[in-house]
Amino acid sequence: MGLGSFTRQKRNTSSQLPTVAANGGGRYSAGRVVPRGRQIQKTFNNIKITVLCGFVTILVLRGTIGVGNLGSSEADAVNQNIIEETNRILAEIRSDSDPADPNEPQEPDLNPNVTYTLGPRIEDWDTSRKKWLESNSEFPNYVNGKPRILLLTGSPPNPCDNPIGDHYLLKALKNKIDYCRIHGIEIVYNMAHLDKELAGYWAKLPMIRRLMLSHPEVEWIWWMDSDALFTDMVFEIPLSKYGNHNMVIHGYPDLLFDQKSWIALNTGSFLFRNCQWSLDLLGAWAPMGPKGPIRDEAGKILTANLKGRPAFEADDQSALIYLLISRKNEWMDKVFVENSYYLHGYWAGLVDRYEEMLEKYHPGLGDERWPFVTHFVGCKPCGSYGDYPVERCLRSMERAFNFADNQVLNLYGFSHRGLLSPKIRRIRNETITPLQYLDQFDIRHHKASSKP
Amino acid sequence: MMERCLGAYRWRRMQRAFRQFKVTIICLLLTIVVLRGTIGAGKFGTPEQDYLEIRDHLIHTSRKRAEPHRVLEEVQPQQTMASDSSSSGGGGSATTNSYTEFDINTILKDEEPDDKPDPNKPYSLGPKISDWDEQRATWLKENPQFPNFIGPNKPRVLLVTGSSPKPCENPVGDHYLLKSIKNKIDYCRLHGVEVFYNMALLDAEMAGFWAKLPLIRKLLLSHPEIEFLWWMDSDAMFTDMAFEVPWERYRDSNFVMHGWNEMVYDEKNWIGLNTGSFLLRNCQWSLDILDSWAPMGPKGKVREEAGKILTRELKNRPVFEADDQSAMVYLLATQRDKWGDKVYLENAYYLHGYWGILVDRYEEMIENYHPGLGDHRWPLVTHFVGCKPCGKFGDYPVERCLKQMDRAFNFGDNQILQMYGFTHKSLASRRVKRVRNETSNPLEVKDELGLLHPAFKAVKVSSS
Repeated sequence: MGLGSFTRQKRNTSSQLPTVAANGGGRYSAGRVVPRGRQIQKTFNNIKITVLCGFVTILVLRGTIGVGNLGSSEADAVNQNIIEETNRILAEIRSDSDPADPNEPQEPDLNPNVTYTLGPRIEDWDTSRKKWLESNSEFPNYVNGKPRILLLTGSPPNPCDNPIGDHYLLKALKNKIDYCRIHGIEIVYNMAHLDKELAGYWAKLPMIRRLMLSHPEVEWIWWMDSDALFTDMVFEIPLSKYGNHNMVIHGYPDLLFDQKSWIALNTGSFLFRNCQWSLDLLGAWAPMGPKGPIRDEAGKILTANLKGRPAFEADDQSALIYLLISRKNEWMDKVFVENSYYLHGYWAGLVDRYEEMLEKYHPGLGDERWPFVTHFVGCKPCGSYGDYPVERCLRSMERAFNFADNQVLNLYGFSHRGLLSPKIRRIRNETITPLQYLDQFDIRHHKASSKP
Repeated sequence: MMERCLGAYRWRRMQRAFRQFKVTIICLLLTIVVLRGTIGAGKFGTPEQDYLEIRDHLIHTSRKRAEPHRVLEEVQPQQTMASDSSSSGGGGSATTNSYTEFDINTILKDEEPDDKPDPNKPYSLGPKISDWDEQRATWLKENPQFPNFIGPNKPRVLLVTGSSPKPCENPVGDHYLLKSIKNKIDYCRLHGVEVFYNMALLDAEMAGFWAKLPLIRKLLLSHPEIEFLWWMDSDAMFTDMAFEVPWERYRDSNFVMHGWNEMVYDEKNWIGLNTGSFLLRNCQWSLDILDSWAPMGPKGKVREEAGKILTRELKNRPVFEADDQSAMVYLLATQRDKWGDKVYLENAYYLHGYWGILVDRYEEMIENYHPGLGDHRWPLVTHFVGCKPCGKFGDYPVERCLKQMDRAFNFGDNQILQMYGFTHKSLASRRVKRVRNETSNPLEVKDELGLLHPAFKAVKVSSS
């Protein structure tokens, strides 16, 4: 009750103010100054807490969040710029466009009526080569009793459509370097399209011819696809078996002659002797290659004549099969169709059996027990799409790579932790007499000691 | 309304209490806000997170999205299209035939756990061997079919390089690694040098730039027929295919690096020498220097502490963990009498050539000089230090690095292609053009540089 009167009193007092002010309003100047000052004071009194809190809040927020717009978004903008710039550069690198292109005159189109040739006709290569070898005895074609082999492989000059493709090209090349170092073979990795007519899978033909003619000291040229991996590091091609032949290719004669199948032979891994016959075969092989209408028309002929071939432009494998079937008498006597070991091993039937092989067999066999080459046909890791699920392809390629790498690392006392693992573990302790193991574990010494 | 709920008296009492305690309440609220700002309130977050959330929300709605996000969004529809169109293989679930955006890490797996090193044992590359020279000499005598010299002045050399077994973080990194190894294969084929490409980490403690030490030791001990081991970084390229290393000059040396004596011994400059490209003889001395070099390498505390020592002791070295190059400078500068007489710091030719001062001058070199010089006129090696094409961030702008690596590659590749009558259309172009016509007498044509059958590749003519 008392409280009520109190508030009422207060209200009365406050209600008096306006009357005082109103009264003061009549006498203009004096009345305005006093109530204005007090009014301001009163307002200030009322809101001083509010002002104080507001001020402190701003300070605190500024301390915790920062001045917002200026700071963080600047760093963000810079980051964004870097990302955009990188993407632009990557796209430029990946594209096929050439900075020099606009200035170059257009090269004339190929005349479809004239048969395409790889180069001027050479008739006497055997004699020229023999003469050269006689006068250049410091570059013999047989070294330590073994014929000189040159392994040719390659890939397109631009980055793959996706980064994982380049990674597997790199691994496949390392795999070939390892095999060739162990067996004394030289490698040529081609990244140039020597002949723009023969691009794609046909690009190997002009390169093989060019290498044969430039390196008479090379006895055999071995083409190997970039998606083929060595999986038997010990096995060596029994070249003495091919004394009377000039071309060694993996395939099945019954598929070739009886069924005329388009996969009767595989041109992913084959050998050519450096001789006139090989130059002639290359010359007869090339005409279906030039891109454009010639290749398309040839593709139709091949699809019509070979069993199981889908419809697409002419590829080198189908063209070779067609050539050997149609001109069998001319060429087949010097071609060795090999299937006693996997000069080319189709991956699908092999990759799942690696554990079984490790358990039961040993390197050096080269056949279905321990394949010499595992060839990942159809995986196409350098492109955007393959013929098989990506996961299966990459998993299998990783396994094949590690399967082979274990045979190389064996000399150093290491092995991969699993066929899918990039990490290695020690399988043989370090010793102060490391040379005791060499004869046993170095593959080169196997060969040397087995010689009579 | 409240008045009616609670009664006038209680309402007024509440109002009064509120008026009296408003200061207290305000201070309480303020304290909570400040504490949230400084300590955070767990899942209720901090003001900074609030701010970021609000900003993201605003940006999202105002569609000011960054380019990478747009890229990712575009890719996803592609992927779904691909899996829809894939017909063969595997039927149902997520089996796609498209390589775009496939994560290799879903495949790679370790089947065994990492070995934990014993922290109390001091690090060593392996058990100490003291009689390597004798062991090796005996072996060479017993195995004459693996001589350590393949020619009168030509030792057997193994070029060692390598990269990580996992794909590069940078999408084009693997492509440049591929080009780099092709470049090395070409040089080595011409010069009769063997190549070893390493993709295995032999010792997890010596990871990164130190990984070469255990590898080098292992290779020296496993290949006694090797006279010199030539380590080369993966970002170094040969740009002079005709230059043959002057082996006789190093007859009395065991370790050859590019560098300057004054900068290493007098100035102790951390770039006084370069360990990106060096020659190491296969002998006891080399095993000893590897053992002395290794202690700063083991990752973790040892490497950090060593890094501090090196930054303090060496001139101009920035602050970072110990690297093999600084450690070598420090080792040579502090123990010159022990090692100095067998170390040759070569600067007459570019056993390592810093790319920054070389790549812009290629056209000038082509005009004025010729391959075979190996020095500033036509560098043997162009080394892209700092570019790190395999990683995400290097020390230099990406565009400059990659474009210049292309140019250096083409510069070297032209010397290989000219053997076969071709050359790149320009130093920036991947395409090639013919410079020598095909002829029906190919053996009469000699290539300009004489690289097809060079003297340094000639096989010793046997007496039989």
